[in-house]
Amino acid sequence: MLPRWVTYAYLAYLIAPIALLVVGSFGGSWLNTLLPSGFTAQWYADVAMDASFRRAFNASLITAAATCTACLVIGLPLAYAVFRSSRPGVRAFARLLYQLPVALPPLVLAFGFILVFSSDALPWLGSIWLLVAGHTVLCLPYFLQAVVADMQRLGLGALEAAAESLGSSPRQRFFHIVVPLLRHSIVSGLIVVAALSIGEFQFSNLVAGFLSRTYPVVLLQAFYGATGFACAATVILLMLALLGSAAGAFTAGRTTALGSH
Amino acid sequence: MTSAVKLDNVTYRYPGGKAGIFDLSLDIAAGEMIVCIGPSGCGKTTLLKLIAGFLRPDRGTVALHDVDVTTASVRERQLGIVFQAYALFPHMRVWENVAYPLRVRGAATTEQRSRAEAMLDLVGLVGLGDRLPAQLSGGQQQRVALARALVFEPKALLLDEPLSALDAATRVAMRDEVRRIQRAQNVATLLITHDQDEALSMADRIVILKDGRLVQAASPHEIYDRPANAFVAGFVGRANVIDGRVTDAANIETSLGTLAMPGHGQPAGRTVSMLVRPERIIPTSEAQGENVYAVSVERDRFFGATRQLDLSCGGARLKLETVERGAVRFVRIPREAIQLLA
Repeated sequence: MLPRWVTYAYLAYLIAPIALLVVGSFGGSWLNTLLPSGFTAQWYADVAMDASFRRAFNASLITAAATCTACLVIGLPLAYAVFRSSRPGVRAFARLLYQLPVALPPLVLAFGFILVFSSDALPWLGSIWLLVAGHTVLCLPYFLQAVVADMQRLGLGALEAAAESLGSSPRQRFFHIVVPLLRHSIVSGLIVVAALSIGEFQFSNLVAGFLSRTYPVVLLQAFYGATGFACAATVILLMLALLGSAAGAFTAGRTTALGSH
Repeated sequence: MTSAVKLDNVTYRYPGGKAGIFDLSLDIAAGEMIVCIGPSGCGKTTLLKLIAGFLRPDRGTVALHDVDVTTASVRERQLGIVFQAYALFPHMRVWENVAYPLRVRGAATTEQRSRAEAMLDLVGLVGLGDRLPAQLSGGQQQRVALARALVFEPKALLLDEPLSALDAATRVAMRDEVRRIQRAQNVATLLITHDQDEALSMADRIVILKDGRLVQAASPHEIYDRPANAFVAGFVGRANVIDGRVTDAANIETSLGTLAMPGHGQPAGRTVSMLVRPERIIPTSEAQGENVYAVSVERDRFFGATRQLDLSCGGARLKLETVERGAVRFVRIPREAIQLLA
């Protein structure tokens, strides 16, 4: 009985702020009361019309997409190399890489980027590609972890050995065996990457240029203005995240269905 | 006759260890079924990997159909390999698994499909081509793995403990199946196992390894009836190995008592080991006679057709296998049942 009660209490605690955000985003005015008064969709229209929010929304989508691409292009071969290698050096490197998000807070990475890329030699601070580069560093370990764990779970080594003995070339093995088998973990890894990239604030806030500010960075500004506007802007970010997971779940479900008949 | 697989003085030592394969020479004739057995860590799997090309020998050569492949890749060797856990591709249908070797060789889809179906016919899986591997039983998966390893007409077939993952009843039935399919394809085969029944019932020739060295390679009958040494005698089949000292030209002093064995040809005073198979010992009611000993029963296991008894006789223990149901008080060891071991 008690555990269930605790669960409900926890769920309420979890959902209440989100529910209040949604309520606030439709509220007319909200000043020193428990709930706002009035109902309006005006805040959403305001956010949609706001040039800086529109720009930030696009910047976030581009950054997330580019980060996903970078993680896929760099991460998949890297995961493969980490999995295949029996050399202790490579394994140690992989462990280091996995620990990176813990060892290297976005703030530290951002300071590093500012130091290096504000110089005359590398004056790239403020470009969206630098933002993507930073997000890739921050997100890659999560992608690697998802994919390498799946490689181990599937016993990819034995399957590849079998394919090799059956006459398959390294390239054929990669496209016939490795990629199809890893599709679930690749997709779920990319969803994690996209979610992290879209929600990332610390690094983006310091490194993004004025024109390449991402959504969370601009969102912070909103809280200095009207409460309803801030709520509406936050709910949009929330929807974006939910949409991402839904799309991910759908893709994963589809690939499973395709694979099973 | 040319040999399908020929190993010449192959040595491979695992880096930083004493394990490996040492000075091993072995021929597998076309269509021959060789079963390699030995205790864990004897080098069976290493031997298979050396032939398959997953490992390269430090010394010696590996040849397939008279072509030296010592430095060739796994892919170039074109051997059919069935792995212990089958290693079927879980995302491919059964027929796609079987057709995979043809697909990577660029065969047309229709040809892939028809040859895969023909192979599935041979292994007794008609109509299951569209299933996924996970939808098949262990024995069926085993057959798929076999079909996949044979569909491209490999130079030889290597089976790494192929039956060990199956339940006991399926395992026994699959022995005959594997042999039937192997004969139908007439492919030189090396089967690795730790199961002596499997070895005795399936092999044309049994190869016994110990500590990476070949101990004996011979037909199942010869391995059983004339084991090269006490290790082989004890490893294949049940065995009584009796140590003794030669007293004269006809008698050997053992812990059982004096054992008459005329014509043993050993000089007096030499210590010798003798093999007596449990089923060759005869329970008897007479206390007198040559090589008759009084025994007491330590343990008596009933298997229906036979009984296996552990007997104690003086300071020695004897294993006896018999169809007799009555009490066992004396046993006779016929001269012809005694064999000197090297």
